[in-house]
Amino acid sequence: MKIPNLKLKSQLALFNAFSKALIITLLVFLIPWLVSRISIQDTDKLLIQKLDQVIELVDSLGIETYIDMDAEFQAFGSYNILKEEYISIEPIRTDTTINIIQYSERIIEDELVDYRVLSYSIEENDNNYLIEIGKSISVILRFEHNLKQFAFIFLIFIITLTFIFDLSFIQYLLRPFERIVSKLKYTKHPTSFNYQPVNTNTSDFIYLDETIHSLMRKIEAAFNDEREYISNVSHELLTPVSIIQSKLDNILYESNLSEADMMKIFESKKTLRRLTNLVRTLLMMSRIENEEYILTEDVNVNKVLQNVVEEIEDKAIAKELEIKMELKANNFIFKGNDNLLFTLFYNFVNNAIRYTDKGHVEIVSKQKNNQFSIQINDTGAGIKKEKIPQIFSRFKNSNETKDSYGLGLALSKKICDYHKIIVEVKSEVNKGSSFILLFP
Amino acid sequence: MRILIVEDEKSLASEIKQFLVKEDYNIDLAHTGEEASELISVNPYDFILLDIGLPDYNGLDLIKEAKKYNSEAYFIVITARGELEDKIKGFDLGADDYLPKPFSLLELLSRIQAITRRKFGHQESVIKFGGFSLDTNKKHFQFKDKSISLTKKEYKLLSYLVLNKNRVLDRLQLTEHIWGEFYEDDYDSNYIDVHIKNVRKKLAEFDNTNWIKTVRGIGYKFEF
Repeated sequence: MKIPNLKLKSQLALFNAFSKALIITLLVFLIPWLVSRISIQDTDKLLIQKLDQVIELVDSLGIETYIDMDAEFQAFGSYNILKEEYISIEPIRTDTTINIIQYSERIIEDELVDYRVLSYSIEENDNNYLIEIGKSISVILRFEHNLKQFAFIFLIFIITLTFIFDLSFIQYLLRPFERIVSKLKYTKHPTSFNYQPVNTNTSDFIYLDETIHSLMRKIEAAFNDEREYISNVSHELLTPVSIIQSKLDNILYESNLSEADMMKIFESKKTLRRLTNLVRTLLMMSRIENEEYILTEDVNVNKVLQNVVEEIEDKAIAKELEIKMELKANNFIFKGNDNLLFTLFYNFVNNAIRYTDKGHVEIVSKQKNNQFSIQINDTGAGIKKEKIPQIFSRFKNSNETKDSYGLGLALSKKICDYHKIIVEVKSEVNKGSSFILLFP
Repeated sequence: MRILIVEDEKSLASEIKQFLVKEDYNIDLAHTGEEASELISVNPYDFILLDIGLPDYNGLDLIKEAKKYNSEAYFIVITARGELEDKIKGFDLGADDYLPKPFSLLELLSRIQAITRRKFGHQESVIKFGGFSLDTNKKHFQFKDKSISLTKKEYKLLSYLVLNKNRVLDRLQLTEHIWGEFYEDDYDSNYIDVHIKNVRKKLAEFDNTNWIKTVRGIGYKFEF
């Protein structure tokens, strides 16, 4: 059986309720037994006390006071009108000592009554007598019943009281812990952590809070270092490129260059552009790894797709390719980063156009069983089956004929992972490829 | 037109200066934030080109400072750090434009001209050639009295060529201007040609002059 995950507070409360329930069941069985034991003991004690009094009276006043020796029927009996108690003295013949307490039935005034009876034999004037003292069972039962009722009420009262007390104590005790947990829960990014210490007297929680704070500070510092590092790398790499580019621009505009020289400079500019894009893409990937992009923008995915197509359709027109669009679920809003998603779709559509020489590129978005997905299909070169696992690795190109630097798809994969979008690839050589993006 | 270039990379600063001086701008250079801060407090500038990644000064602080003394100046922020956050902050503080490094000098010039046209006089806003007139303010193009409809990209392309007349514009500059800096990785694509072809066609309906010359392998030149 799978035990569901519960909060510590709920687990403690559950355990508490369970243990209390166990105690109640135990006592429900135990109390009647205990109460009847107590009431019997109590009754028996009372009977013995009364016996002692009777014996004392007999000793001091003599047996004759109670039994008329001349009477034909030698016996003494006394009972109250409700027949709750009786005392009898009668002669017996046997010599055996009798000293027992037992339940027994007696007929008093033609009525059968259950009694708890103490029978005791004494010897007086060479005769043996049996003294019996009885207490009606109905009286005992009434007492027992009252006792039971009281015990149950008391039990329930105590259990409820302790349960409420325990719960509020657990709640009070764990409040700092819950604060620590909620602090972590509401920290979307290491730089937005709330360093306000949690107010508590529990040393364990103080230690936990302090440890989390120091860890968070370390993470934040590492994050900031990384961000600064990326920013510096970016500056260090792109500034020289910028210098060269400006110099090339000036050469191009200043002098009267021959067409061949102009061509050379233009080629150099193209190479610089390639370098710039490479650096930018690598930096973008590093920034994604460092989680610098916020993922809380409400992005209308279909709109982004339309923008991408608007931006890219020139390329398709230049290659005489048709771009087919079939966008469904137009109100699908995704929490993510607008710019990154644009880059993602742009890369996929751009790739589809680049590797397709004839036919069309198709963009389909749909929502099925609560699963929003985008499919980008082309009728292009396709990818060999054994190459598919490698296409998302950096600097590996599935298509040997076209020179590309294999970062586009690696970046796309990173953006997908960052947004928890799953990518599936289906491809057949010379028939085309499909990239399917499954949104979370 | 007086421009202050704040750029710690001396070599880059002097290239920008060299280019802009030829375009008849008055240029001052500052290589540190300190120098820039001093110059800003004494001279009135029309434009300040600011590299936001200065080693000795927070570039954003410099904008605040400059706004105090030079409230009329326009800012173009240059950065190689490429942080989106700074981009937004820069605009909040009143930067008028933003250029990521590396940029082409022509693109910088066109940004300066665009801001100038937007903020200053209107005389220069209509450019005439042959029977055509291009109103860069209203983004309107016509032949004599007849208006010619251009797509957004065609308009951008034509106006860029016209504004930089008699100058070879290579394909990179044209793509950069029209499509912005996407994470592009193919440059030999001829999709710009498609637009050139369409623009030529529209011009040819009214006039047979070959205004847009092809510079083989490199790009195009608007001759006037």
